[in-house]
Amino acid sequence: MTRGSRIFMSCIYWAFVLYVFVPLALMILMGFKDSKFIGFPIRSWTLDWYTGVFDDGAVVSAFGYSIAIAVLSTLVSILVGTWIAVLLEGRKFVGRPVVFGLAVMPALVPGIISAIAFRIYARGLGIEPGMGAIVWAHAVHNVPFVVLVVMARLSTLPKSQLEAARDLGADPMVVFLRITLPYLVPAILGASIFCLLLSFDDFVRSFFLGGYEPTLPVLIFAKLRSGMSPEINAIATVALIVTAAIGIWAERFTRRMNKDSKP
Amino acid sequence: MPSDAVQTRTAPGTPDTLPFWGRMTRWSPYRAVVNVIYGSPRRQFLILAIFPVLWVLTQHLGPMVQMLRVSLTSAYPVAPDTETYLTLEHYIKFFGDSIFWQPFFRTLAFAFVFTFCTLVLTYPVAYFLARHVSRKNQMLMLLLLLIPFWVGEIVRTYAIMILLGNTGALNLVLKTLGLIDRPIPFMYTSFSMGVGIVYLTALYMLLPLYSALEKLPTSYNEAAADLGAGPWTRFRRITLPLTLEGIGSGCTLVFLISTGFYATPILLGGPSTTVFAQTIAGFFHTAGDQWPTGAAFASIMFAAALLLTVLFQRIIKAMRKGDTK
Repeated sequence: MTRGSRIFMSCIYWAFVLYVFVPLALMILMGFKDSKFIGFPIRSWTLDWYTGVFDDGAVVSAFGYSIAIAVLSTLVSILVGTWIAVLLEGRKFVGRPVVFGLAVMPALVPGIISAIAFRIYARGLGIEPGMGAIVWAHAVHNVPFVVLVVMARLSTLPKSQLEAARDLGADPMVVFLRITLPYLVPAILGASIFCLLLSFDDFVRSFFLGGYEPTLPVLIFAKLRSGMSPEINAIATVALIVTAAIGIWAERFTRRMNKDSKP
Repeated sequence: MPSDAVQTRTAPGTPDTLPFWGRMTRWSPYRAVVNVIYGSPRRQFLILAIFPVLWVLTQHLGPMVQMLRVSLTSAYPVAPDTETYLTLEHYIKFFGDSIFWQPFFRTLAFAFVFTFCTLVLTYPVAYFLARHVSRKNQMLMLLLLLIPFWVGEIVRTYAIMILLGNTGALNLVLKTLGLIDRPIPFMYTSFSMGVGIVYLTALYMLLPLYSALEKLPTSYNEAAADLGAGPWTRFRRITLPLTLEGIGSGCTLVFLISTGFYATPILLGGPSTTVFAQTIAGFFHTAGDQWPTGAAFASIMFAAALLLTVLFQRIIKAMRKGDTK
């Protein structure tokens, strides 16, 4: 590879980095504009929009609502997803490909279709639109990610550890609780963070299954429909900081866990 | 986890000196539970399998089946004292009016174009990361690209609105450079929608491409170079065919995701770019009697997306076979 083409390729990479970061940077910047009107150039600056976010009751409660939904749906996803992964990994039985296919299906159904299907199903089960319905839809949608992550980790579990535990007299339950489960902890934590972010960011399912109380993305969407304002920039920026911080922390954390538990 | 029957050996030592786990395994209720669960391999498997199987059937498959069922009923939710019957009328409605099938084909066409744009845009980035960056920096540089993707769909769509608006950053830059006198109306067109959707889906293309390129040994390219192949030939005859699988899975993911966007087309698109998601959603905003039509339309879209995905996978498979000959 010649020097010239290497420089050309690295330019493409950095151009892509700009494409990915610049829109978000501009959005954050616009939140400091001292005017109700969105647009460049910015002539005077203010912090009012950002301080206003924490005074706005609707925004604060939407924040709490989104976080509660994310935590509850993640707990369900983790329990179910880990269970499915333990069943599927390294086991051969009739219908295994079918169970696997169904287990990952919710991740592949296009957003609007899954939202509509959940809405109809919730109605059929008599679940009213609201928190319960959103938690359920997010949980089902996120199960496939847990299944895939936990299965990948489980496939690397050294069989010798299980055999050693059995030889020392542990019954299968103890082997599971003291060998398999601790081994899965990094994967489970990683998958939890991923589920939390997916749920916190989700719009389409929350929109179709929500009641009168909006989640944060639904609130931002509703505000956007009635016009752009630096207030929305400030709200979106706070949401951005929360998600990016969790994401970066999780990335470092899971990497360290993986490094520590390498045999 | 091994599935053989319980070992009956008990832990050594007296109960008082045993650690927590030792005491637990001697506790008789625990022993009873373990004996029930692990009584025989067959029983153990059943207890392990019954919950996941029920879950995927009722929670994963259930909503889709219910949607299909509703799409075939004459009215839903069923009002008291009315009879419902099986019907195909909601499917027939789709073909009857161009305001229904136009957005449908537009959605598929958009999804194709946007998927292709995402592929062309991210392939060089993935290539650069996998082939020209040292191992240690690779993860860091990939991580740098992942950060924005943790931010939600709505927030990122809004960021694109600010970038492309009439008083947005792009128009400001063009004006300052003296390229334009009055702002170009980027917003509410298929262009702004494309920029937004590519922005949202790029990661789902980048990761499969990166992992495919990363697996490819550099020795293949070196051998080809030794045999006299130029850069373009090497790319066309070696790199591209051997990363087809990554291209296939990336394109499938991006295609499926971009057909399902709802908020982004509303915020970035205009009247001329109405997508099928908006058509479907329309039936659920109004009174409940339109639900079967919405369900039928969603089923049509799901079937079409699945069909195209399967077709695409077949083509990729055929291409890979053709190359190995």
